[in-house]
Amino acid sequence: MGSLNLLQTLKKDNGRVWNLSWHPNGEVLASCGEEKSIRIWAKDLTGKWLNKIVLTDGHKRTVRQVVWSACGNYLASASFDATTCIWDKKGGDFECNATLEGHENEVKSLAWSKSGQLLATCSRDKSVWIWEVTDEEEYDCAAVLNAHSQDVKKVVFHPTKDLLASASYDNTIKLFRDDPSEGDWICCGTLTGHNSTVWSISFDKTGSRLASCGDDQTIKIWKEYPPGNQEGIPTEDGDSAWKCVCTLTGHHARTIYDISWCHMTGLIATACGDDAVRIFKEDDDGDPNSPGFSLICTVDRAHTQDVNCVTWNPVIPGLLASCSDDGEIKLWSFKELGQ
Amino acid sequence: MSRFSGALQLTDLDDFITPSQECIKPVEIEKKVTSSGAKIKIQEDGYFQVEEDGSTQKLQKVEITLADCLACSGCITSAESVLVTQQSQEELLRVFEENQKIKSNGGYQEAKLIVVSLSIQPVLSLAIRYNLSPNDCAAKLATYFKQIGVDMVVDMTIADDFALLEAQREFIRRYRATESDGIKNVLPMLASSCPGWVCYAEKTHGSYILPYISTTRSPQQIMGSLIKQWVGHRLGDRPIYHITLMPCYDKKLEASRQDFFNDETQSRDVDCVITAIELEQMLEQEGISLASLENSTFSQPWLASEASDVFPELKRHIGSGSGGYADHIFKYAMSELFGENCSDLEYKCLRNADFREVFFEKDGKIMLRFAVANGFRNIQNLVQKLKRGKSQYHYVEVMACPSGCLNGGAQVRPKTDATIKELTKELEDVYNSLPCQTPEDSKVVKELYDVWLGGLESDKCIALLHTQYHAVEKNTNALNIKW
Repeated sequence: MGSLNLLQTLKKDNGRVWNLSWHPNGEVLASCGEEKSIRIWAKDLTGKWLNKIVLTDGHKRTVRQVVWSACGNYLASASFDATTCIWDKKGGDFECNATLEGHENEVKSLAWSKSGQLLATCSRDKSVWIWEVTDEEEYDCAAVLNAHSQDVKKVVFHPTKDLLASASYDNTIKLFRDDPSEGDWICCGTLTGHNSTVWSISFDKTGSRLASCGDDQTIKIWKEYPPGNQEGIPTEDGDSAWKCVCTLTGHHARTIYDISWCHMTGLIATACGDDAVRIFKEDDDGDPNSPGFSLICTVDRAHTQDVNCVTWNPVIPGLLASCSDDGEIKLWSFKELGQ
Repeated sequence: MSRFSGALQLTDLDDFITPSQECIKPVEIEKKVTSSGAKIKIQEDGYFQVEEDGSTQKLQKVEITLADCLACSGCITSAESVLVTQQSQEELLRVFEENQKIKSNGGYQEAKLIVVSLSIQPVLSLAIRYNLSPNDCAAKLATYFKQIGVDMVVDMTIADDFALLEAQREFIRRYRATESDGIKNVLPMLASSCPGWVCYAEKTHGSYILPYISTTRSPQQIMGSLIKQWVGHRLGDRPIYHITLMPCYDKKLEASRQDFFNDETQSRDVDCVITAIELEQMLEQEGISLASLENSTFSQPWLASEASDVFPELKRHIGSGSGGYADHIFKYAMSELFGENCSDLEYKCLRNADFREVFFEKDGKIMLRFAVANGFRNIQNLVQKLKRGKSQYHYVEVMACPSGCLNGGAQVRPKTDATIKELTKELEDVYNSLPCQTPEDSKVVKELYDVWLGGLESDKCIALLHTQYHAVEKNTNALNIKW
């Protein structure tokens, strides 16, 4: 078991806070929400987190997600105004130096590849777009993928490869990769199993497993079976097969909006519509083909309304950030008991 | 899966929401007004309004036409289901049957003259599907169509010629307007023959992009003018039902545009569009082996001479399998503007094989820079370049399908063991093996400019060979806003 201790509550926004992103150095947090602005938070000398910067004139509607690039030099934001903005500090202050247009309506999520050469966006228009950064730091559309039949909620890149996962209102997760022989991106996998909208997905540290959550109040763990795997799981066209190896039910009372798989501790955190934040831990000595995960901590009223996002700090083990419709951002420290 | 091109899938042209769910088009429903508010009873055979005296009145079903959808920026969604009813093979067979009835009742004069125009790409697609030579395939398709009630089968190459010649001249006008008169917003000229691209531009980019799109009609619609206006007139204004065989589903949308509805004849220039996939289905449903049919002839009803039926001799044009617009216009411009001749154009591939460019340099200055951009992602990059003022092109051949029209969205799908890429390569090889047609050398086209259109650049040319585009205002209906 463990305990999640509240370190600090950050509140500036009047409306709901949709999403948070830790800078790769772990010392800066970006937040976004209904106020159409992006806030950048960092610690002062006393160790208190403060709102240092507000980025206002990028978007005309709600900012749904923000995400730092792996190098930490770029911040990308996705908005319901159908655009994506790329912010950088080249001129000293943070400025929006590129606006990507093309989606027909609300951009719901976005993700940088590890190399920073690719950016993926997805939208209510059901499409997933891959943008390639050119030498002149422009963003060219490299692919428009119409594989989903409904609103696409989330896109996430594999932690090391140029493999993209997307989660949709059509209840599926899809995987995409570049196919040099076609000269285009292709859908190389469809993960079916959720009975309703898949709201979020998160790769583990190695990228060989993927956690998903959604409207059916379950968490699913998917495992990669590469071609020629020992288990004899059939694969197609040289692409790995992904199988659901674990489903966690009965823990959440409402829709699970977000899931974060910590790359340092291996812990999984969830953000739920029942206002709670939960932590799961993988059981020791489990069968890799049917691992077990146990609920080791629940904070029942973590927020006063829906929790929209949870995210583990990439540098400080156990540091978790959450945000909610109640307009608050909370920083938590997780301690496993008996350690 | 939708059969529209990617560009249209994105603009909600295909999202299968039925009109009742989200359509914001005001529709008049004929029903009596009651004092106490309406009670409606749902029965298996429809919806009934219950009157105060207990009697019931059947309510009319709301019907949304494709034209309604195209003119509206709301959902547009039902377009595909509407298309299925208005431009399907079932509709075609219904028209044939009706016409046959009129004929067998002795009403030969009232019966419509049914004409089918064949474009090159679907003929090649079916030729590969049924392992026939292109000319044999065309000749056997002619037989098939005549068997099911078509009066004339014609080759659309003549309309390709008109489209190329008009686009060449339009380009020179635009180039000179820019160079000598400093007029902006006319270059680059963007190709207009792909309805997926045109419809996307109208719905999404409106006034930013529309001035650049060539006003020259697509070959399908030029064929429509030729058949309905000229041939109809020549044959004593007999009513014509005009069908085209096309490589993509989006062509159905183009045929349905209000711009191509003729008030005089109260009909569309193209009444029904069928595609390679649908024709394959028709053949299969009827259990017909195309290869076993006899060869038959194409008609040339636009010619003055009577005995003008000939066996098909299919032609290609230089350049891409989408009509070769970039190549024709480039060569014409070089000779017309700079007095230079060039042989084959050498394109340089840019980000991918579907975005390539070619230029002509004189005295160290680039005088002509042309590109071919196929597929939606390249359309995106082009549009964004234009919007940011970073385009250096004079002309771009834009097609919504990757690899262009030979890989049109309604071409016969590859058999299980082949990829789309392999099939497209095969189609390109077959296309390139055809003898080449040079539009400038066509005597028939020259003659038609005289006798039909009243000379080059006449008002009639503008009226019948050009068109216009309409930006669709974005609808900000609160009901459409969702999370």
